[in-house]
Amino acid sequence: MKNILALIVMAVLTSGCATTAYWTMTDDLNRVAQSKSFQMSVPEGWVRTTEPDTWEQLEVGDKLRTILLESMTVTRDGTSLHAITVTRRYSDNAFPTLKKKSLAGMLPIEAADLYVAELRKRNGLERLKVLSNKPAQVDEKQGFQLVMQYKNDDGLRVRVMSYGFVDETGFYTINYRAPYLYYYDRDHQDFTELVHSFKQLQGAHEPPPKLPKWVELFT
Amino acid sequence: MKNALYLTCLFLLLGGCASTGGVTSFSNTGDTGNLHEKETRLWHEADGFDATIDRSGQLYENEQATAYLQSVMDRLYPEFKGKVHVKIYDSTQLNAFALPNGSIYFNIGLLARIENEAQLAAVLAHEAAHFIEKHSFKQRVRSKNAASFALSGIPFANLAAVSSISGFSRDLEREADAKGYVRLVKSGYNPHEAHKVFQHLADESRALGLEEPYFFSSHPRMVERIDEFKRLSARHEGEGRVGSKSYNSVVSPIRLDVLDKDIGQDRFSSVILVMEDSNLRRHYPPAGYFYLGEAYSRRDEKGDSEKALKAYKQAEKLSPNFSPTYLRLGMHYMKTGYKDKARSYFKRYLSVAPNDANDRAYVRQYLSSL
Repeated sequence: MKNILALIVMAVLTSGCATTAYWTMTDDLNRVAQSKSFQMSVPEGWVRTTEPDTWEQLEVGDKLRTILLESMTVTRDGTSLHAITVTRRYSDNAFPTLKKKSLAGMLPIEAADLYVAELRKRNGLERLKVLSNKPAQVDEKQGFQLVMQYKNDDGLRVRVMSYGFVDETGFYTINYRAPYLYYYDRDHQDFTELVHSFKQLQGAHEPPPKLPKWVELFT
Repeated sequence: MKNALYLTCLFLLLGGCASTGGVTSFSNTGDTGNLHEKETRLWHEADGFDATIDRSGQLYENEQATAYLQSVMDRLYPEFKGKVHVKIYDSTQLNAFALPNGSIYFNIGLLARIENEAQLAAVLAHEAAHFIEKHSFKQRVRSKNAASFALSGIPFANLAAVSSISGFSRDLEREADAKGYVRLVKSGYNPHEAHKVFQHLADESRALGLEEPYFFSSHPRMVERIDEFKRLSARHEGEGRVGSKSYNSVVSPIRLDVLDKDIGQDRFSSVILVMEDSNLRRHYPPAGYFYLGEAYSRRDEKGDSEKALKAYKQAEKLSPNFSPTYLRLGMHYMKTGYKDKARSYFKRYLSVAPNDANDRAYVRQYLSSL
């Protein structure tokens, strides 16, 4: 009850001052999706959020924790079906459920292994299979390319391709998730183009933000 | 919420008054065609659970092991052949459970820890007894847990409440222990092995600080159960089938898979417990040392780096054809500046690893950078 009241109060207080994110269609005049730390070019016909997500809530051990991040999502047919998500995790919380930091000197294969372990801790991904894991370059940085697959409760095979790299500013991933049947192949080329367009921005080198006080009300 | 609590209490109170009189157990497969209407609904629910498990990829795919477990079950209960189906569940939790329709799920985690066929038979006999004695239906008639589970909102909650997924009441668990034990002896298995599986897992649960898994849930307490099995087996002077060789030849690769999954899911303490205990370790393939190295390396506490290196070296010595060890040793020496050693290990990796090994591209990249 206390949490619900706090949520209402916060919603009322913040609605007047915060920029409200919304989904927008991508066309020739509206291609670049930009966050503080990165930008990428979104293929025509996809929709994207206008503002990045800046936090997520996760169960770490038995406790609910709020983790700061930067994350932008694009989709063509709806996020429940398929999505490309670009995420920057700050070094201290790079692998939150594993309670591991990212280190600038981390080898790409180490980052890939930790990332898979991190995903397997998430609900529904316990049996995530790694189909391939190889080196890749993202924005001229040494990284990894993972191809993974899982089945949801309805038996639908969902394939995930992830590019990622680690540097002194944190851990970055570009994820493409789609049902293997039809959708995965259909949009794979769009995903590849988005990965090639990814650029890290100067803002990535600014100090990470502090967790807002209101977070304590919910965790 | 308050109303829900009242409702739960009411169900629990009413449940206590209900009787299971008139529920007769199955004597053979023919009986299973003659079900009470409410029992039929329970079976349908169980069939739905089976289908969900199957299509969502939660069954462990190993035909040889599944056939082996089924053969042990058929030896225990030949009159139920074709009606009790043993399936291997892809979970490293130490658990096994029975559904009211005769499906028995055995987790790979439990398979890995058990030492021989007689211990496997002890668990299977217990779980099949739940089915044959209609414990799910009896529990539903009593309705003890149904209300509280119905409120929890989990999928198949009602089924969970009346199957051994969540454990039965104390008297039903005792009945399954007793009837399972009788069947174990009748089928020619060594009864002195029965208590060991409980003892072994009680030790492990304690060492890892785990709550008692469902299979060994607190009805009755595990210690009480161990004592009861010891008391029963003390009456039997003769030996019986243990089946250590046949069991371990089937389960050995599964054990490595369980270690791999434990590492993949961040359960380092479980791997360290098994591989640092000479008594537990003796049933594991020597490549298990690689996973011990992984556990220390990923846990990364003080002194773990040295322990990881020692474990990798042990894996290299005892299991020279296991390629992942060479990758890790190569990475270790590359990061610590020993380029020649790193090169040597990476080359060995490429010569031993299968052509489609996931990490070949990384190794080629590292070799070219050294």
